[in-house]
Amino acid sequence: MRTHRTFVLGAALLALVVSACSPGEDESPDASTGADGSQAADLPTLTVGSAGFWESAVVAEIYAQALEDAGFTVERQLEQGARDVTHPALVDGQIDLMPEYIGGYLAVTYGGEPTPDIDESLAALREALEADGLVAFEPTPGTDADGFAVRQETAEELELETMSDLAEVADQLTWGVAQECAENPNCGLGLERVYGIDFASLDVETLGACSTAIAEALNANNIGVAQVCTTQPEIAGFNLVLLEDDLGLAPAQNIVPVVRSEIVDESGDLLESTLNAVSALLTTEELTNLGAAVILNGESYEDAAAQWLADNGL
Amino acid sequence: MIEFLGEVAAWFADPATWSGRDGIPVRLWEHLWISGVSLAAAVAIGLPLGLAIGHTGRGARAVVAIANIGRAVPSLGLMGLAFILLLPFGLGVGPLPTIIALTALGIPPIVVNAYVGLREVDRELVEAARGMGMRAGEILGRVEIPIALPVILAGVRTSAVQIVATATLAAAIGGGTLGQIIYIGFNVGDQVRIFGAALVVAALSIGTEIAFGALQRAATSPGLRDRPYVPTEPAQVGRSGGEIGMP
Repeated sequence: MRTHRTFVLGAALLALVVSACSPGEDESPDASTGADGSQAADLPTLTVGSAGFWESAVVAEIYAQALEDAGFTVERQLEQGARDVTHPALVDGQIDLMPEYIGGYLAVTYGGEPTPDIDESLAALREALEADGLVAFEPTPGTDADGFAVRQETAEELELETMSDLAEVADQLTWGVAQECAENPNCGLGLERVYGIDFASLDVETLGACSTAIAEALNANNIGVAQVCTTQPEIAGFNLVLLEDDLGLAPAQNIVPVVRSEIVDESGDLLESTLNAVSALLTTEELTNLGAAVILNGESYEDAAAQWLADNGL
Repeated sequence: MIEFLGEVAAWFADPATWSGRDGIPVRLWEHLWISGVSLAAAVAIGLPLGLAIGHTGRGARAVVAIANIGRAVPSLGLMGLAFILLLPFGLGVGPLPTIIALTALGIPPIVVNAYVGLREVDRELVEAARGMGMRAGEILGRVEIPIALPVILAGVRTSAVQIVATATLAAAIGGGTLGQIIYIGFNVGDQVRIFGAALVVAALSIGTEIAFGALQRAATSPGLRDRPYVPTEPAQVGRSGGEIGMP
């Protein structure tokens, strides 16, 4: 009997603990910090989401804080995962705002074919978004695309500045790429199409895309060239050379805030103007610096975002 | 759901799935040899250790510690550590960090089972063997190990299944295996591929379990197999059963 009671007590305690540890949203400041108190009552509450990597999270946090300063009430659901999670969440209304990349969003979610031309790609994306009740505001000048980097010594020894230079010596190096590179139009397929590199014949190792691991492998000379994200902080951190995409392999990868049209209707102009003001100042250099702050210096998204907004007078 | 399973079936039927660097045959072979090398290393390290501890009877605390650490250490973390440590030697990218992590994963069950197997051998048999003049090595080789063999092999079987199942992680750091196909599926959002490759890993794990189970049974001495004892002498009426233990 005593064993039975202990078991029941233990099970109840476990159930209590498990229910308390439910995956919930981040704690967010509820009180609006806007100057106009009466305006806060009319503005909808927004949930800002992001993908599972640092750049998406810190840009989302910047948007969130800027909106709070403007009088919105904002909740966050950062680092939700990849597009197969975040896109349905956006369409269903679990999140209202997401920073997205023009080329990637258009190609991966909507099966489109983005080009390096930003206007063309953005127009195509907006058309696709409309069918899902989503709106994309103005893009950032900064971009984050797939790129290829080598060590300083390699660049000097083989005289590499551009991807065309790299194409000439492609078979002399071990390539570190993401697992799906062979079938990715921005990677293996693109290297063939744009730079004439016979990807199937290359000496290839696969590691996580845009990861610290792939940068470390390059830095330690386990690979000769690495597929990186162009704002990856390890590029500056390891003093790597990012090769110039001279023939335009990478599509337009500027960031746009994607919002549900219902929220746009409820918010008036304030939402759009606030987000556009922020986006206009996010250059590639700014994105790279944010990466250094968050990844190399270990700052939290909140602190890095707050610091950036303060530095840029927003 | 039915539709999804239909897509998975179609993926298996597609010849592209069975060709190329990331096709099932290449990655399956990689999975098998990495698992095999890791298991061999785990046996080479763990078996002598377990037999030594089991034969002498000393080091029970060490065995318990090894078992607990083995259960607690996360394989992916160990792989990451090995990756970092091997980078300066040019061996970070590739199968080596994974083999190290899998070997570490496979050692505890082998050590523990070797120890327990030897400890469970009837002490009287060991005494009898010693009384017959057998040296320690002979006792170990001709009495203890044959009796403990089923338990020892059960440990090897446990390790084998764990290693085969966990080898999938190698894909994270350039090690390949069937995990490569799963990672590609994750990265491009192709759930069919994730599911299909996972099915192959599951089938491989189950197959390993069955194969080693058969090996275990085959290596068990006939006298130890689970058969009812059948006396060769007929029972004698009037004899007291307590002395000779009538069946």
